[in-house]
Amino acid sequence: MRGRAGAVRPATGMAFAAVLYLLAPVFAGSPYVLFALTLTLCYAIPAVALNLLLGYTGLVSLGHMGFAGVGAYVTALLMKNAAVPFAPALAAGTLAAGVVGALVGIPCLRLRSHFFIIVTLAVGLVLFLLFNNLDWLTGGAAGLPGVPRPHPINLGFAVVDPRRPVGFYLVAATLFLLVFAVQYTLVHSDFGRSLAAIRQDETLAASRGVDVFAHKLAVFALSAALAGLGGGLLIDFLRAAAPQSFGFLEDINLVLIVIVGGAGSLFGPLLGALLFIALPETLRIADTYRMVLFGAALLALALSAPRGLSGLAAAAFRKLRPQASA
Amino acid sequence: MTALVEQIANGMMMGAIYVLVALGLVLIFGVMEVLNFAHGVIFMAGGYVCDVVFMHVLPSYPLAVVATVLALALVGVALERVVFRRLRANVPMQIVASLGLILIAENAAVLLFGPSALQLTVPSVRSLVRVGDLTFTVQHVVVIAACVVVIAALHLFLHRTRLGTALRATSQNAEAARVIGIDADRIYRLTFAIGCALAGLGGALIGPLFLIFPQMGDLPLLKGLTAIVLGGMGSIAGAIVGGFAIGIIEAVSTLFITTDYRDMVVFAMLIAVLLIRPWGLFGVRVRGDA
Repeated sequence: MRGRAGAVRPATGMAFAAVLYLLAPVFAGSPYVLFALTLTLCYAIPAVALNLLLGYTGLVSLGHMGFAGVGAYVTALLMKNAAVPFAPALAAGTLAAGVVGALVGIPCLRLRSHFFIIVTLAVGLVLFLLFNNLDWLTGGAAGLPGVPRPHPINLGFAVVDPRRPVGFYLVAATLFLLVFAVQYTLVHSDFGRSLAAIRQDETLAASRGVDVFAHKLAVFALSAALAGLGGGLLIDFLRAAAPQSFGFLEDINLVLIVIVGGAGSLFGPLLGALLFIALPETLRIADTYRMVLFGAALLALALSAPRGLSGLAAAAFRKLRPQASA
Repeated sequence: MTALVEQIANGMMMGAIYVLVALGLVLIFGVMEVLNFAHGVIFMAGGYVCDVVFMHVLPSYPLAVVATVLALALVGVALERVVFRRLRANVPMQIVASLGLILIAENAAVLLFGPSALQLTVPSVRSLVRVGDLTFTVQHVVVIAACVVVIAALHLFLHRTRLGTALRATSQNAEAARVIGIDADRIYRLTFAIGCALAGLGGALIGPLFLIFPQMGDLPLLKGLTAIVLGGMGSIAGAIVGGFAIGIIEAVSTLFITTDYRDMVVFAMLIAVLLIRPWGLFGVRVRGDA
């Protein structure tokens, strides 16, 4: 497992950020590509959040888009009804999702693994049903349309206008890099190492003095908050909060993004989001035949790559390495 | 009062369907530690197979149901062999594989039968039973009776036959079962066959009452999962009580609140029960449970 978490050096991180930002001028002329990329980043943020649980702590949460929905609806309500600007509204949405995450986590994290999985599924379904049925607050099945985009941001040397595709992409890229940095810092901290110990052997971790429950609760609340951040960004990008964006299928989709991309790898969530959001978006996969093929591909992947695509890539890389140095 | 009795009877009927789904899930989980999220599409396949057999092969509903059960048992054997045998103890990939199966099955159903729902009209739906002021279709009675027969048969199989005893032994300790000469792979195959046959039976029984459509198994799957968790994940009695409880509670809840919140009552109840008993109603408390 050498280098699994330490594979990204600061220089690599800077290069990654530069590439992410440079995509904006490169695709400035093709708003459709920017649309697909921005949407990918909107989902990559909750995917990173889930990766903290699924990949680094070993907790499978099947209701994570529910927390994204809490962030989304709080952001949308504040911006639409209280005319709060984007940044504080998003911060409030993130905080709200974190609080809901903590409240859910306190009872649920005491459950054993399979109970925990099903209960997170139930939590996600309850949140979805609330979004869908609390008509007076959430607009019910029709959702909340007409969420305003952020105001232009004056950076001194340039003005970023999020009402234009390039501008919103830059906002999304910045937020993603922020969340990525949180993931990186967390994984490399003592806290992250304690999480890894919990994933590998909970009893042993506890006997070595790790407060298992406190660690799980902290990472669960953080993960829910980051998912809420992604949800808030998503609805502001789509300009509408709708319950379907946070339903059961979306919950499963998010889990797929993380697992197929490679749970427990830094870039896995982004890779998975590219595969599950950008690719179907650009190929316009809606055709029934193609969905059958897509299902078959998932099945084949589950049977052949137990650690997802990142695991597959890492294995291929290890195979190439000795030959290169020989 | 009449309304209450009527809803309890409706709840018993839906509960019987949830029990059929939950029994398969709990057997597969108990013996193999596999959570089969594709169980809902097996249920859906049961509806379609029954429809095809009844409309084109055997114009007898009981025989069509039997044929469906046998066909889905074979599907179960194939699923265990090709997919789930290799994914034991890898829950994340079980989810990925299940979603792959769901996508294949639900879209294949659309390709084969079209996107609109099928209506399967059998005699037992058209004939009515009168009990006091209430009327039910004969199918309501058939569903509940079939579920009771399945429960009794399963109990006899698990406790009175060598094969059933071997199955219970494998679920308690697979390694020890191998040591005393039980062919565990055969038991796994059998478990999947029974589980899928029961889900197929559920789909074949509910098909004539409601409609047959690609997503018809989604909610029964979620309710079945809820039932086995309520019951304690691994307890057959728990799955039965859980399934009937969910059916009755959701039906009765419609007397007090709008049907929009019917599903929420069920999932909220699950969360509430686990707050009080984290190991479920019938589960065994193990070390580490709060």
